[in-house]
Amino acid sequence: MSAVAPRSRPRRWWASPSFLVGLLLGGLVVAMALISYIWTPYEPTQMAILKRLRPPSAEHWFGTDQFGRDVFSMIMVGARNSLAVGLGAVGLGLTVGSALGLIAAIRRDGWLDNLIMRMADFSHAFPAVLSAIMISAVWGPGMMNAVIAIALFSLPYFARLARGAALQCWALDYVLAARAAGLTEMAITRQHVLPNIAGVLVVQATIQFALAILAEAGLSYLGLGTQPPAPSWGRMLNEAQTFMAAQPWLAIFPGAAIALSVLAFNLLGDGLRDAVDPRMRRSRD
Amino acid sequence: MTTRRDLLAGAGLAALATQLPLAALAQAKDSVTIGMTLEPPTLDPTSGAAQAIREVVLQNIFEGLVAMDRTGKLVPALAESWTLAPDNLTYTFKLRANARFHDGTPLASRDVKFSFERAVAPDSTNAQRWIFTPIESIEVPDPVTVIIKLKQPTANFVYGLSWGDAIIVSPATAANNKTNPVGTGPFKFARWNRGDRLELARNDEYWGTKPALAKATFRFISDPQAQVAALRAGDIDVFTNLSAPEAIPQLKADPKLKVTLGKTEGETILAINNVKAPFSDVRVRQAISHVLDRKTIALGIYGFDLDYIGSHFSPLHPAYVDLTQTYPVDLAKAKALLAAAGFPKGFECTLRLPPPAYARRGGEIIAALLAQIGITARIEPLEFPQWLERVFKNRDFDLTIISHTEPLDIANYARDDYYFQYRNPEFKALIETIDRTVDEGERNKLYGDAQRMLARDAVNGFLFILPKITVTKADLEGMWTDWPLPLTPLAEVRWR
Repeated sequence: MSAVAPRSRPRRWWASPSFLVGLLLGGLVVAMALISYIWTPYEPTQMAILKRLRPPSAEHWFGTDQFGRDVFSMIMVGARNSLAVGLGAVGLGLTVGSALGLIAAIRRDGWLDNLIMRMADFSHAFPAVLSAIMISAVWGPGMMNAVIAIALFSLPYFARLARGAALQCWALDYVLAARAAGLTEMAITRQHVLPNIAGVLVVQATIQFALAILAEAGLSYLGLGTQPPAPSWGRMLNEAQTFMAAQPWLAIFPGAAIALSVLAFNLLGDGLRDAVDPRMRRSRD
Repeated sequence: MTTRRDLLAGAGLAALATQLPLAALAQAKDSVTIGMTLEPPTLDPTSGAAQAIREVVLQNIFEGLVAMDRTGKLVPALAESWTLAPDNLTYTFKLRANARFHDGTPLASRDVKFSFERAVAPDSTNAQRWIFTPIESIEVPDPVTVIIKLKQPTANFVYGLSWGDAIIVSPATAANNKTNPVGTGPFKFARWNRGDRLELARNDEYWGTKPALAKATFRFISDPQAQVAALRAGDIDVFTNLSAPEAIPQLKADPKLKVTLGKTEGETILAINNVKAPFSDVRVRQAISHVLDRKTIALGIYGFDLDYIGSHFSPLHPAYVDLTQTYPVDLAKAKALLAAAGFPKGFECTLRLPPPAYARRGGEIIAALLAQIGITARIEPLEFPQWLERVFKNRDFDLTIISHTEPLDIANYARDDYYFQYRNPEFKALIETIDRTVDEGERNKLYGDAQRMLARDAVNGFLFILPKITVTKADLEGMWTDWPLPLTPLAEVRWR
């Protein structure tokens, strides 16, 4: 099979076109967020009622919204918010989820393993938006609560993945040798298991990152995420809803921003998976 | 192979198909489909406060002794006349002899006695008991005469009788009015498919001028975009109060439609917790009033100018005084007032917002306006039940935005426990005097004093009157375009 594969196919995983597109788009989003700290065309929360609902022009690249705020500046600052929620939620989910998965792998088939995995099943079965609504009903809507809700939703993915991958490691000969040599379970987990499964977890984290951006947009759309006046793509989309017929740019730009960044991190995730997954690697060479 | 029978059947169907639209067209001229945002929870206005109930049934199915007309004037309804004795306590109402309930029973004076006594009975859930509490006794010497004695002179007694809470019901059918309303009005209840539509049919036995419409259908569409779509598609003939102000330019451009911006009794205010520091200091409240640029707020929410207010009173009422220039927009003065109150750098507070667009959008603009003088208002959106519980009932708030849609609700400022807690004995005494002043000219003068007092104390940030956005088909006439009371009377509605 591999012998017949056309030579034009990229030999290195990072040279695949989809990964490069992902890198480019993702880089653009990150760059936009970073630049927004030092420069935006206008102050994103500055209202100018007399300039409301202006279509895109040289003065306002993406037009203005119902309060006369510059949509491009809001998209830039909104990127910050999406990335921050994504990082926070995935960071939390990755750390806690993987830790739980690794513990479950150590205590495989014991009561603790069962407890952790059944809890993962339970929270996995619970729709993310529903748990977010519950959280915001108890603690009130806000960015931090959105982060926690999305982290809760990504947690079982990491826990299951970490446990499954760790179990494979535990069966490897050199791990058995390490056990025979008297290394503690914690030490083996730290020195042998974790480095082995890190790659898979990172791939999963990238894909969860894309999902987190989408979830944040969804929650903000419902009014449960970032609160005004801080710009957020999901809320921009919600507010654009009533203006869509006459001022379509209000919906198009935040919609495109969400779609492109989700696409970017999915493509990045795919590329990284190709790099990490041994099966994929073999089929390629 | 096609047989002759098939051909005939096909021809028959074709003929039917061409005739159907014509038949529908001919019928459309004496029926109307009305769009409303909210569906009433029941159809009995004496059972609860929901405005949607009154919008559908009052002056259509049910009537009171008196009615409010489209200009806000009181006109005779089931009582063809009434007099007030010189003691300012005894009202004598003469009923219409030819009025009948929809079940055929003639209206009699004892029905009035029954209705009013039912409203204050211990198990009554009537939302406006204040209308009836001044009543000392009701006498019914003959079937068309009702004599009501009051405990003390009450200026707004007859006015209250025009509300949906004071409809006249029949003892035989009152218990079922929630689902099968039986009244005396120009329309009879026909059908109610909950969640979708409610149908009324003309009452051919009506005592007054018979309506031109034979049938009226109310449809309930809560989504603003769906409201616009239904209007543009011609599915509904009129929308009583459109929730999508941003669609107005688009609808105005449609020659088949007519858009009217009317007034309501909805005083929209930035309500301030008057007992909580720093808002308990009148200078802080005045500073806030000096930054509230009403035009900016109206344009940001609606995209067009509104009727602005400078106190808690609607321009629809003859006693209205224009106080909008009491606190002109003046940042320097606002900062000076804040500094004098001990907050030269401003302060932080919360702005709790209920769901309507005027509150959510208005809140963002007001937060930006307040930021100009250093007041950081943190926005907290709430759902309506939460808002009612925390802000309205428990008074747990700094600032909020809400529209007070009841007519003449300036009297609420005399209630110590009312959510913004004005607590001014001088104002309370004034409202008591107003309640006892039967002479209308004198009373309106006192209402003017009350408005000025609220403006002077900058009790709340007085913003604008909620607009009523009526959209009708161009050839439909007679819909109410102002809302002295939020009603949709259909008796005078007709196709041109």
